[in-house]
Amino acid sequence: MKLNVDGLLVYFPYDYIYPEQFSYMLELKRALDAKGHCLLEMPSGTGKTTTLLSLIVAYMKAHPLDLTKLVYCSRTVPEIEKVMEELRKLMNYYEKEMGMEQNILGLALSSRKNLCIHPSVSKEREGKVVDGRCYSLTASFVRARHAADDAVPICDFYEGFDAHGKEFPLPPGVYNLDDLKEYGQMKRWCPYFLARHTIIHANIVVYSYHYLLDPKIAEVVSKEISKTSVVVFDEAHNIDNVCIDSMSVKITKRLLDKCSNSITILETTISNMKENDSKRLEKEYKRLVEGLRDATIARETDMALVNPVLPSEVLEEAVPGTIRTAEHFIAFLKRVVEYIKTRLRVQQVVQESPAGFLRDIHTKVCIDRKPLRFTAERLASLIRTLEISDLTDFSPLVTVSHFATLVSTYTKGFTIIIEPFEDRAPTVSNPILYFSCLDSSIAIKPVFNRFQTVVITSGTLSPLDMYPKILDFHPVIMTSFTMTLARPCILPMIVSKGNDQVAMSSRYETREDTAVIRNYGNLLVEVAAAVPDGIVCFFTSYLYLETIVSSWYDQGIIDQLQRHKLLFIETQDAAETSLALINYIKACDNGRGAVLLSVARGKVSEGIDFDHHLGRAVLMFGIPYVYTQSRILRARLEYLRDQFQIRENDFLTFDAMRHAAQCLGRCMRGKTDYGIMVLADKRFSRADKRSKLPKWIQEHLKDTNCNLSTEECVQICKRWLRQMAQPFSREDQLGISLLTLEQLQSEEMQKKIQQRAQGV
Amino acid sequence: MADEDETKEYRWESGYEKTWEAIKEDDDGLLESNVAELVARAKRKRAALKASGAIQLGMMRHLFVIVDSSECMFLQDLKPTRFLCVLKLLEVFVHEFFDLNPISQLGILTTKLKRSDKITVLAGNQKKHIEALQHLKDLSCEGEPSLQNSLERAMNGLKNMPAHSSREILVLFGSLTTCDPGDIQKTIKSLKDNNIRVSIIGLAAEVRICREIAKKTGGTYNVLIDDHHLKELILSQVQPPAVAGSIEASLVKMGFPGGTPTLNDGTSDSSADHAPAYCLCHIDSETSSLMGPNGYNCPQCGSRYCELPVECKQCGLTLVSAPHLARSYHHLFPIKPFVERAQVPDATHCFACAKLFVEAETNVYECENCNQIVCLDCDLFIRETLHTCPGCASDPVTAQMKTN
Repeated sequence: MKLNVDGLLVYFPYDYIYPEQFSYMLELKRALDAKGHCLLEMPSGTGKTTTLLSLIVAYMKAHPLDLTKLVYCSRTVPEIEKVMEELRKLMNYYEKEMGMEQNILGLALSSRKNLCIHPSVSKEREGKVVDGRCYSLTASFVRARHAADDAVPICDFYEGFDAHGKEFPLPPGVYNLDDLKEYGQMKRWCPYFLARHTIIHANIVVYSYHYLLDPKIAEVVSKEISKTSVVVFDEAHNIDNVCIDSMSVKITKRLLDKCSNSITILETTISNMKENDSKRLEKEYKRLVEGLRDATIARETDMALVNPVLPSEVLEEAVPGTIRTAEHFIAFLKRVVEYIKTRLRVQQVVQESPAGFLRDIHTKVCIDRKPLRFTAERLASLIRTLEISDLTDFSPLVTVSHFATLVSTYTKGFTIIIEPFEDRAPTVSNPILYFSCLDSSIAIKPVFNRFQTVVITSGTLSPLDMYPKILDFHPVIMTSFTMTLARPCILPMIVSKGNDQVAMSSRYETREDTAVIRNYGNLLVEVAAAVPDGIVCFFTSYLYLETIVSSWYDQGIIDQLQRHKLLFIETQDAAETSLALINYIKACDNGRGAVLLSVARGKVSEGIDFDHHLGRAVLMFGIPYVYTQSRILRARLEYLRDQFQIRENDFLTFDAMRHAAQCLGRCMRGKTDYGIMVLADKRFSRADKRSKLPKWIQEHLKDTNCNLSTEECVQICKRWLRQMAQPFSREDQLGISLLTLEQLQSEEMQKKIQQRAQGV
Repeated sequence: MADEDETKEYRWESGYEKTWEAIKEDDDGLLESNVAELVARAKRKRAALKASGAIQLGMMRHLFVIVDSSECMFLQDLKPTRFLCVLKLLEVFVHEFFDLNPISQLGILTTKLKRSDKITVLAGNQKKHIEALQHLKDLSCEGEPSLQNSLERAMNGLKNMPAHSSREILVLFGSLTTCDPGDIQKTIKSLKDNNIRVSIIGLAAEVRICREIAKKTGGTYNVLIDDHHLKELILSQVQPPAVAGSIEASLVKMGFPGGTPTLNDGTSDSSADHAPAYCLCHIDSETSSLMGPNGYNCPQCGSRYCELPVECKQCGLTLVSAPHLARSYHHLFPIKPFVERAQVPDATHCFACAKLFVEAETNVYECENCNQIVCLDCDLFIRETLHTCPGCASDPVTAQMKTN
């Protein structure tokens, strides 16, 4: 249907539209008009993606000069594929309505692992190995060697692309990963490099967060994206953690041992080269003296090693004299590694600032800040000069060089923590050095500065006002949308006590209490008896899950549970978990019913949807606070308090509630779906927790359902499930939660939508 | 009953019944699934479905009723227990079923302890079924049910039934889980291949596999809201369903056995016909005794039966009596659906029951043939029970037309 969104003609590829989708478009359009950033929360299953795409494409068509490109960042490959499917639908609709081919090019980009079509390289299963092998076939020196000697293997697909692909741009259309591969096969061009090359002139680019947020990758891939772009971060509730992770480094003892090995390899290679081909080393030296950044850096295939700091921080100077020659640099690296090794030899936890670290390294091993800043770049240059084609072995050394560069570049917003052992196993010596980024705004700042509009959106962003604070930006629009429903298809409840009136809570003081554990068990058993098909339970941590399950076993609760449903447990092992998931789905499909016990913040809670019968109920046992004893977390809390005036408790609650909301949201994947959400902890009913739930959940959380006992909860479930099982057809939704064009344009509905937009 | 006293629950044992919520007015525009509204809607739907006259109905039905008798049937959310409530309603159902489908047959299975038990075989005698249902009341409910086992068993009973009959299974399923020995998808597939329609009534909540079975085999799946709704749902199964797929219209050979000895129809030699003989229905049971002269003889092979309708065990001929067929007649020529009208000013009262139309009643119904106006209740009554329009019947002209 064709919509009029505040004066903009929007083609919407479906015959019906949800009212909240229209409101979302209105808000988004306002943000685009203002050329500012925005923060939008809309429940999952309400067609966020298609709404975003149709509005932005329409905007691009109407204002081709103001808005040239859409960069859509998603988290996983399946999500990227979903976006591409929606985009394809939209473009088909445009074609049908306009009656001609659309001049819009949309494409997905993923890692080499997902795009490689080289017969043997693509068989590799690990991303790093694929990258390494690709590098060994396409690096410029390999190709130069091939030119001299045919026996040196190269990648035909890359050669094909290099020879022809650059002149002929990809014809307009929508290309997902498979389409790119197919196109690559047909033309015999490398799809990965084709996609990377095409990014510059594509209208719509869909890729993962890291291509924009991680300075190591962003520098290479996303450098040339123009300022007049709109950037969308979908599923962005964890965006601050992504930012932090991309700037943090973790160094273990084993890693350092591997570093020493790599250094030895480098050393021997250098001495070999000195005998055979000393010219090349000299050339490199000269280049470094002149301060020219390596001319070959323009060569796209040589991207394997890059600078970990943000572009604005990279020094445009010559490499300092102390590390210019290869031998000196090797000696320098050795000293750095040895120094870190000695630092790891600690008996108690050490926490210090980057400045303190720099002072210490200067007094102990006489290393200045400046050469340290160039470590990453110098190492990259060296490896290029040495023509080492297999990079996979050098990743530990690269990590250390990143650490060295980062620690000497940033003095604020980072901390160094050295722990001699893990808290859980204080007897086992396992020293780890964490170089931790405390400020999530550092990594995302260039994105906010560079692009005119950044859209941060997700199903669960509540409380909205926290994100502008921790990401340090000023949104022009900040809105949370609710879901209009023809029937109350979510049933959130807070269960605070068992049948014996003992309060249920995962508080530290009571979590070992058998009465609490038993009450949790009884709750699960009774819910399992009343709810059909699949039930997903979330615990606060793996440790807690294990203790609870073992005491349930002793109390006979597991046996009772298995009379109703099969039991599956998520573990830290990914393979085991996916096997459990497959069988869980099987058990739900054939009517046996199943319970999945998993962990908030785990793999299940983040990426897996339990739609329809796979998740008829979600139980949240306790509030998923992060492990508060962690020193990294405490350092971050302190930093947030000092820099952004965010109280520790506020942040902890915010973090816990957004994860709780994520877990709860797992069971709702659309308007025809329905699910029960049980929050089993007394503390959820407190105003500070409750008010931080997303608006679309809060709306259905009635006051009467905030302090229930187990049996009250089960009674409510039973009645509600019967109601939900009644036939529900599209006609019931029409006019309330699903609108035709006429209904949308009716005055009454327009008024409602206006009200909604103002109300928030 | 002695054990009924034991199972009788006290007020404080029963679930929370917030009766005031049923009449709650809805402010946020959500559809509160009001019981009354749902029932009315289901009624209209059913009437609408039946209305389209052209569909072929499977009048000759073979139906297996599978009753869940697992542990969860002892729950007391239906009074006195789910199991007793269901049995009671089934009695009504059996009665109604044979009333409306005289030439059909019915059998009853239960499932518990992961197994399936046969209670009655396919037969056309309602007394026997009702008796069996009454015996079932003393049965204990335990273990888990097995959908697959019971469906397989019913399928084995149905698959040899003649192709022109409608093969159906009705499952009353209280449990939320099923314990099956193998892949239930295979069972669903063979059910489909055998043209067996499975309808399921859930007593607790929507179970996906049930929905899938019903959808794939062309049956219906419903979940009750309360016992009234359950009755509504069970009785909706009384109406013969439209024939699924393409069963070709075929001529069915039927026998009309002679009635009482006094009414000799001359089909066979009368002295041999009425000599005392064993009834073939009861020949297997130990209590069988020589029958008197009463009974029905198969006109083809002369076997004696004590009741009709039945399929002759000897020669396979379907034996019915003429009144049985006549009673099924209205399925073949359902009355045309009445047209829904907004209140007509000149009609002040219902033609059928003479009730005055009040303001609250928004819609009235008009017969297209005789243009008489009736109220909603009468419309449903005519459709479901009477099967003939009082307006048309009382008008000599249309009454004539209809018989032609």
